[in-house]
Amino acid sequence: MPKSSSRVSIAFALLTLCSANAALADHEHASNEFEVFLAAEAIHGSGQSHAGDDDTWFNADFVFGLTQHKFRVFGEFYVTPDEHDLERLQFGYEFVPETVLWLGRFHQPGSAWNTEHHHGRYLQTAITRPFIERWEDEQGLLPQHITGALFESRRPVGTDGAIQFAGGAGAGPGLTDNALDPIDLINHNPGEHRLSLTARVAYLPEYTGASSFGLLYGHDHIATNSAPVVNALNSHNAVLSIAGAYGDWNSERWRIIGAVYYVDVALDPTARDESFISGYVQAERQLPHGLTVFGRIEDSARMQESSYVALFEDHDNDIDIALRRNALGLRWDYARRQALTVELSHVVSLHQQSDEVRLQWSAVVP
Amino acid sequence: MKNVTAKWLLALLCSAAVVLPSFADESVVLIISAESKVEQLDSLEVRKLFLGMTVTHNGDRLRPLLNEADPRIKDVFLQNIVSMTDMTYDRRILLLALQGGRSLPTVYTNSTTLINSVAADPRAVSFAWAKDVQRDKRIRVLRVLWHD
Repeated sequence: MPKSSSRVSIAFALLTLCSANAALADHEHASNEFEVFLAAEAIHGSGQSHAGDDDTWFNADFVFGLTQHKFRVFGEFYVTPDEHDLERLQFGYEFVPETVLWLGRFHQPGSAWNTEHHHGRYLQTAITRPFIERWEDEQGLLPQHITGALFESRRPVGTDGAIQFAGGAGAGPGLTDNALDPIDLINHNPGEHRLSLTARVAYLPEYTGASSFGLLYGHDHIATNSAPVVNALNSHNAVLSIAGAYGDWNSERWRIIGAVYYVDVALDPTARDESFISGYVQAERQLPHGLTVFGRIEDSARMQESSYVALFEDHDNDIDIALRRNALGLRWDYARRQALTVELSHVVSLHQQSDEVRLQWSAVVP
Repeated sequence: MKNVTAKWLLALLCSAAVVLPSFADESVVLIISAESKVEQLDSLEVRKLFLGMTVTHNGDRLRPLLNEADPRIKDVFLQNIVSMTDMTYDRRILLLALQGGRSLPTVYTNSTTLINSVAADPRAVSFAWAKDVQRDKRIRVLRVLWHD
């Protein structure tokens, strides 16, 4: 069976299993979930020959979950014209309410943006995600998909607040020519996957609220046998130590989300270690008639000096690595679970500058 | 004089008879099945439940049923139980589904079907107009969530 057919078949089987459980669920008091996050996008950028890897014209994110007693199964299958991947597949046991141990492939908890928005575009007010939060197959610099164990817990603190903890340990991505390569649950794996440890500790002013403030941690051992990578780094290994802080503040009409990451890259003794900093802050304001205006500033330090960062530039004339970006946009929720968004941005990358305009339709069904 | 007073009293009683039932009609109550073992749920537990979080009683995971039989009761729910706009609530529960596959509350657009579903499931929790459940022996009212 061709590789892609095999992947689609397995994913289809998982989705069918989830749907078939609906009847069973009603009878045995299980509950399940199935949502599809859809988006279509158009982009025009000055100085770019084609759209970037994060700008496919269409994408669909299938999210399915099943809960029975204390057991949970959850998956996320992402489809674009260029890829279809089982991004997450997690099997969990909820020891006590809001304390779950998951096994499987998950999004590492040390990312402020991705643990909130994952792959679905509809719940992300802006069209783009900050460059430092990009996925591995979009020239992302940091490991995001880990296969192993994830522990998540939310415990009450004081009268209204809560402390949220999430810690993950497992096999992280290897490093091929110009991309991190996480474990693929369906397809062939070239190997070179080493230990990844990630964590987040957050304070929530309200137990059920959307606001949180916290610290992020990551320690990823990345190995490679790729000759171009070894030549560029003068090293077979890169150990990333990531320390970060984030805040996500929500009020009735306002939302401000920001994060900063310090990344230390330790190489073999024959090479010089390096480090860089990257961060962003995004503000959103809801207006009447379903409109939301938003703006984001991204900035970095020492990224242009990093040989590790330079690995991810694939010289195909799109913008792979942004040192800075200013974005401004307007979203219109014109119907239930459907939105139109326009985003203007100015990007300074390693080798060029670009002005970009994006238009997106996003939705959730059913 | 006595006759005039009696007439006034009668008029007052009649007015009260008309007004009191309509007052009861304007209450929204938290309901469970008469067979449920749940004694009480505080405001935080109700909010957690309808935001898709896990709430258990005697080891049983409670199941929220969302009453959208008419726009007014949906408004009462949004303003008094979750304190959010419709769009914010919808995005919050979708976010929970996206983050960990949590089940969204089951939505009912017919109050009779909703009440039958609550009556049939000891783990179900919902809310309804008081007038719709006050004579239904299969339903237990935990408390008044809102009244006009």
